[in-house]
Amino acid sequence: MKRDSRLWIQLMAVAFVTNGLGPFGLKILSERGLAGFQPQYLVYWYLAGAVFGALAFFRVSRRVYRREVCLGALMGLCSLGGQTFTGLALDRGLPGHIVFPLTTGGSLFLVAAAGIVLFKERVGGYGVAGLVLGIVSLITLSAA
Amino acid sequence: MNTGYLFMIAGLLSFGTLGIFHKLADVKDCRPSALNALIYGWSLVFSVITVTLMRTGPAAPLPVFWIAIPFGVSASIAILAFQMGIRHGNIATSWLAINLSSAIPTVASIAIYGEPLNTRKTIALLMIPVSIALLWVDKKRGDDRVETAASAKGAR
Repeated sequence: MKRDSRLWIQLMAVAFVTNGLGPFGLKILSERGLAGFQPQYLVYWYLAGAVFGALAFFRVSRRVYRREVCLGALMGLCSLGGQTFTGLALDRGLPGHIVFPLTTGGSLFLVAAAGIVLFKERVGGYGVAGLVLGIVSLITLSAA
Repeated sequence: MNTGYLFMIAGLLSFGTLGIFHKLADVKDCRPSALNALIYGWSLVFSVITVTLMRTGPAAPLPVFWIAIPFGVSASIAILAFQMGIRHGNIATSWLAINLSSAIPTVASIAIYGEPLNTRKTIALLMIPVSIALLWVDKKRGDDRVETAASAKGAR
């Protein structure tokens, strides 16, 4: 399949905005004094995502493959595991200015390294500069 | 060693592995819409198990439900667009692009709830568009190089 850099930036722009909006509900919840209902909030949050996902999927197909079911389960576990372990680290008294920059920066570094080493992706000079600047900005933002 | 550090490392590895699985799903030809539906479907199952084990149950005041719905849909659109997007780009740069979106809740919290904006936050927020522009330039140059090589091969 031909790689289309225009389409890539368009899809990444959609992902950027919608992914950024996704967690903002937690802030609204906290501002309304409902932070104690975070686990229930996550149930409805995932339910809404699952309903939307199912509607989008059933428009194009009715059949799922085993590899999709397995990877979907592993990715769901990783998502929930990441949030749970980060929460547990904070519960054990580690300060947020250590936990958030390290989990964000560390996971970004891990994925970038896997992309280059395992999947043989080629990243040019501008890409490396963008990666370094992006990781530094996220570490600074989560520690600020 | 504080067990908090072990949990922090487990969190780091979980988020990192998630990114790697996104790329693996693309390599294994998983369809973005199927994968998105299954990620949320499984996460729903896991979160229901969590609230059951915590003995809190899923009952909550109505505003909790109404706040969760639009933001859950928004996050689902994000995963769908992301999974479609990595077919056209590298995981190394795409994963950073989607993670940079943490600037949005930060800006929204400043604009809507009047959270204070200090110098470090300002510098970090200003670096984000520069980083995205650099990733875009790199992607464009990479694709142009591939296209030039392909047309040179075709001309021969």
